Amino acid sequence: MSETAAPIGLSWAPKLPSFATTSGGGRNDTVPAPSRVQGSLWKPASDLVDGLFVPPRDPRKLNKMARKDVKDTTGKGWFDMPAPTITPELKKDLQILQLRHVMDPKRHFKRAGKSKALPMYFQVGTVVEPASEFFTGRLTKRERKTTLVDEVLSDQYLKSYRMRKVREIQESRTPGGNQKWKNKGKKTFKRAKDRRK
Amino acid sequence: MRPPARGRGGRGGRFDGGGRGGGGRGFGGGRGGGRGGDRGGRGGRTPRGGRGGRGGRGGMKGGSKVVVEPHKHAGVFIAKAKEDALCTKNMVPGESVYGEKRVSVQNEDGTKVEYRVWNPFRSKLAAAVLGGVDNIWIAPGTRVLYLGAASGTTVSHVSDIVGPNGLVYAVEFSHRSGRDLVNMAKKRTNVIPIIEDARHPARYRMLVGMVDVIFSDVAQPDQARILALNASYFLKNGGHFVISIKANCIDSTMPAEHVFAAEVEKLKADQFKPAEQVTLEPFERDHACVVGGYRMPKKQK
Repeated sequence: MSETAAPIGLSWAPKLPSFATTSGGGRNDTVPAPSRVQGSLWKPASDLVDGLFVPPRDPRKLNKMARKDVKDTTGKGWFDMPAPTITPELKKDLQILQLRHVMDPKRHFKRAGKSKALPMYFQVGTVVEPASEFFTGRLTKRERKTTLVDEVLSDQYLKSYRMRKVREIQESRTPGGNQKWKNKGKKTFKRAKDRRK
Repeated sequence: MRPPARGRGGRGGRFDGGGRGGGGRGFGGGRGGGRGGDRGGRGGRTPRGGRGGRGGRGGMKGGSKVVVEPHKHAGVFIAKAKEDALCTKNMVPGESVYGEKRVSVQNEDGTKVEYRVWNPFRSKLAAAVLGGVDNIWIAPGTRVLYLGAASGTTVSHVSDIVGPNGLVYAVEFSHRSGRDLVNMAKKRTNVIPIIEDARHPARYRMLVGMVDVIFSDVAQPDQARILALNASYFLKNGGHFVISIKANCIDSTMPAEHVFAAEVEKLKADQFKPAEQVTLEPFERDHACVVGGYRMPKKQK
């Protein structure tokens, strides 16, 4: 019986070890073990019995498996909001949220706390405007973007501010060329230490 | 509770020039008119002008992306983008109760969830939450008695918070705003509208069971007494109360702080134990929100 194993892990015929009913059949008793090895294609053979999954006896192992199976959510206090899988786009969105206080000089935010860790539980949604705001509070199809980062990047106002800031930083950081050594009248007679600045 | 003619729209347009009332507090989105003000959103925006050529100044326009995160209080969420907004999870997806914005989310497993934006200028409970109250006691699964429900704008959000396992009894005296309340309750299974005078809880005692929390927003001179009366009927021992006090409605001659202190003293005399008090300042003028317990059990020593 055990010699005719199914090609994949499932077969309906129970492959129980044959009891040593026949006298002198001592050699055949060891056969079932190799049948398991043959039968499974997709799962470590040790986990499957007859190609079917049987939960482990050990309660500690069982608990561990149960814990892995439970979906990661906020719990019923927040209606089981799930923890999404973090994709690079989602991560960028969260990071831009953390840095939003530098995006716009005219907008100020309460500090979100000292932790720089990204939130675990969140959902990304789209705002739906009420009918009364159809003309005032709505983005056109062209203005709609797929992620928060794209929205920020496409905002003209934010862009001009960002460009200005980049330019300012560049100007202040670039070495001054020959300006430093030119004779600037009275200022030239400063101490050598000051001049080196 | 209110005279019908005034309703809730009475004080609209107070924040006309204010614009970014809560700007420094991270909830700069508090535009959209004063309490019950303009339905059409930012009517008071045009005269300011001067800020043209700006794409997302209004923020939170339809179609923009937001990140919804859980708030400190159970059942409450924050939608974060260029500006923040308080949200509750919509019990009736696809419906907006009083013309508020919604946030629609598609989960990874294909299910759709919707959140409704909660405007602190229109809801004193939302204002108290943003004011940093420690515990609102209204959470998923609790039973709430809401006195002074008006048109049911805040009630709809409370119904969102308590969810399908909770229950909200909404008491309102005025028939006119009660009509909106009833229409709202038709779609929400966990809201029980009661068009009665909150001064006479005996009249609706057969409708209301034991509750965990009483929220009172009646704005009457004897509101402490009204709260105590309802609590004696319906509030469980060790339950909690949230009361919003409008100083002008109680005594317009005294300074607001004295009015609040006097009201808290009245509450203490009625077996209430006030735990905290916040002003609703950037959102409402001369308002305070007091939170506490009722017939609290003695602490074991």
